[in-house]
Amino acid sequence: MAGFFSTCAASDHYCLQLRSGSAQHELTRPNKYRRRSMIRCCSTAKGKARRDYYEVLGVATHSTPHEIKEAYRKLQKQHHPDIAGDKGHDYALLLNEAYEVLMRSSSRKADGFGKSRGGFGSGYTGDGCSSWNGPMRSQALFVDENKCIGCRECVHHAGETFAMDDVLGSARVQVQFGDADQQIQVAVESCPVNCIHWVGSQELPVLEFMTRPQPKEGHGVFGGGWERPKDVFAAARNFARKLERQEQQERSQGANGGGREDMEAETAAQAEARRHAGQELRWKSLLDIWNGLGDWRKSGTDR
Amino acid sequence: MAEQFYTVASDSETTGDDKAQQSFPDVAIGIDIGTSRCSVAIWNGHQVELLKNTRSQKGMRSYVMFKDDTLSAGVTGGATKEHAHEERDILSGSAIFNMKRLIGRMDTDEVVQASKTLPFLVQTLGIGVRPFIAALVNNMWRSTTPEEVLAIFLLELKALVEMHLKHPVRNAVLTIPVAFSRFQQTRIERACAMAGLHVLRLMPEPTAVALLYAQQQQQLMHDNMGSGIEKIALIFNIGAGYCDVAVSATAGGVSQIRALSGCTVGGEDILQNVMRHLLPNYDNLCDNAGQTTDRIKSMGLLRMATQDAIHKLASQESTEINADLGNGLKVCKLLSRAEFEQVNHVIFEKCERIIKQCLLDAKLTPEDINDVILVGGCSRIPKIRSLVLGLCKKEGSYGSIDDLEAAVSGAALEGAIASGVTDPSGSLDLLTIQVTPMNLGIRSDGDGFAAIIPRNTAVPARRDMLFTTSQDNQAEALVAVYEGEGKQAEENHLLGYFKITGIPPVPKGAVEISVCMDIDAGNVLRVFAGVVKPQGEATPPFIEVRMPTLDDGHGWCGQALAKMYGSKLDLAVLPKKLQP
Repeated sequence: MAGFFSTCAASDHYCLQLRSGSAQHELTRPNKYRRRSMIRCCSTAKGKARRDYYEVLGVATHSTPHEIKEAYRKLQKQHHPDIAGDKGHDYALLLNEAYEVLMRSSSRKADGFGKSRGGFGSGYTGDGCSSWNGPMRSQALFVDENKCIGCRECVHHAGETFAMDDVLGSARVQVQFGDADQQIQVAVESCPVNCIHWVGSQELPVLEFMTRPQPKEGHGVFGGGWERPKDVFAAARNFARKLERQEQQERSQGANGGGREDMEAETAAQAEARRHAGQELRWKSLLDIWNGLGDWRKSGTDR
Repeated sequence: MAEQFYTVASDSETTGDDKAQQSFPDVAIGIDIGTSRCSVAIWNGHQVELLKNTRSQKGMRSYVMFKDDTLSAGVTGGATKEHAHEERDILSGSAIFNMKRLIGRMDTDEVVQASKTLPFLVQTLGIGVRPFIAALVNNMWRSTTPEEVLAIFLLELKALVEMHLKHPVRNAVLTIPVAFSRFQQTRIERACAMAGLHVLRLMPEPTAVALLYAQQQQQLMHDNMGSGIEKIALIFNIGAGYCDVAVSATAGGVSQIRALSGCTVGGEDILQNVMRHLLPNYDNLCDNAGQTTDRIKSMGLLRMATQDAIHKLASQESTEINADLGNGLKVCKLLSRAEFEQVNHVIFEKCERIIKQCLLDAKLTPEDINDVILVGGCSRIPKIRSLVLGLCKKEGSYGSIDDLEAAVSGAALEGAIASGVTDPSGSLDLLTIQVTPMNLGIRSDGDGFAAIIPRNTAVPARRDMLFTTSQDNQAEALVAVYEGEGKQAEENHLLGYFKITGIPPVPKGAVEISVCMDIDAGNVLRVFAGVVKPQGEATPPFIEVRMPTLDDGHGWCGQALAKMYGSKLDLAVLPKKLQP
């Protein structure tokens, strides 16, 4: 368990530097950026473009709000611009964003909102842990970390793309297409156990989520600890199916529930219609009174 | 470079007790400019030290006296004992005070309107320009501005600190009310610049108190190995001009502000209410237009008598007011506490409302609160104490904080932290995570207000939102930035505006314009805007604007913009849609 924590912290640092660098870049030359990168600096509310916020804060995916808070405070104390100076700005932005999203999702979990997903799929954000260099492509690289023997061949050939996880003793993809295509090809071929796979980029987030060790449910002294599925690909297929089923369920629930997400998705026309209806309702009572008054007056004069 | 030069200069003075200050000569000082009292504190290397003036006061009356050609502020208070300004002189019309209530406000503002009963001259036209303010010098009104008055005061304050430290100071952390708009903040910065001070941070008063609280909690933990559990504190600050609430979560020396809210009520309003109660035709008498020396004098006497009575009512059930106002006017009344509370019930209701609002924003219930901290001069009023404690369901308030010195001590701590001072004993191992007190957004969909950074967002913050054009082939769009709580743009403060030009000619709704707002730890707001879709060679570069861009007399600006360009250059909020 401790091992997993330190992994997060170690890989975290690298990622963050990369990201804060790109954020700076956007500030100085935003017009050169394609739409996808603009979304990166997009706020959290959209949810779909989430990064792996757990990694940003260096906490486990099943952390309690208390642990998240503690990690957030500890990191803020190092990187807040009050302490680290102006260079801490981007880092602190990222921390604030991660904290907000995680606290919101964990409080939602506590409210029983995402309980149906259970311990099995909790923490899945729909976003892979590797970042993309350049535009999204249909294919992506994935290292089957069960098979990987930690030979470092791939890191040697394409060091921008692959990184070594020294605690788990396996390689992983840090940046998709971080090196030239040729280098990547050499790296893939150099693998002695053929554990580097080309996968569809839709499957990638699920695969990358599944390959990270997940906490196992404990029953007293039995079970507990961390595990990772033996066959990642089969597990990912299973998981994707389950997710789909769940989404369908949620959708059918959402139709009669009407949560906050639905409010956000409301279009301008709908908002207008709602406002209109509200006004009509308000005026109606007044009109009724007015009409009533009119009737009364009329009856008064008739008499 | 300039800083280095002056480091050398201070090194040349090698007296013994300068040693501690030499190691970090550029520590920012903490200043609390209150509506009625100011104080200044420094981090002396081991702890926060409040400075005293020549009359050994820690809290100095905030006013500037205009006399012949000399100006003197409340810091020295007339230099020597025999020339000491008395309350009577301050209320004679030749001193300007309450500048914190007047600064950065337009003459349509109700606070400015209420200030017309003050002894000095406040003229308004009611059209949204800055009010005309003047002090009586040799029976002549001499004009001035709130910024100027504040700058004179700060200059004396700075001189006091420099005399004490024996080296020049440059940086300062100032406390401001939560209700201050960004425009008012720039006015404070302007006044500081006039006094030769660089503003390192402007921190809301209750958050300064929260930082002090965090330090005390940290100390407690060190002393008795207490548990590092999170503590929730509600800080209620009511001074002479403003009232603020903050809810903070404190653990491990980090005080994380959960919510802020504030309003412009304070002791000044209470005072005026009571004066009105004592003298039924008060408004006629102190109408600013027909001010004569006699009237000013009698109003001054009434003011002093009332102030005295309010102070007495804090400890007594009732008090008698006996004041001869001259011109055959006499006030003779027994004022009971119940009567006093009845007269001011509107103010107490306002306080109640912002506390409830703050708890709601922080998503906390009264049961979650560990400590209630009451600070500010008016927190001594029994009704306010019982009201706050009642709302938080607590028996007593947090005791180990001085209600008048807390804010300035917190500011001095923040000054030391933000200047990069570290303390080996760990008493500076602190941090405040601030939040934005008000919604920030732009005008869109006609007169609507689209909040881009909602209030109570942790700082530093960056948010963006997509907008689109409201007309076919619209080539330009106006981005008008507002701050406030209103649903309509016009209810909020206009901070600035700029145009996005060169939008590609496409049907309405087809363009995506991204407006991004960024607030850094120094609370500087930057707005970035530009076209993100369609992309191409023809799209113009992004625009970066530092807000607020407006200067004085902008009351009309928002309306003029809406009238001239409202429909032509309008933006519409792009409905949120699912991303691929």
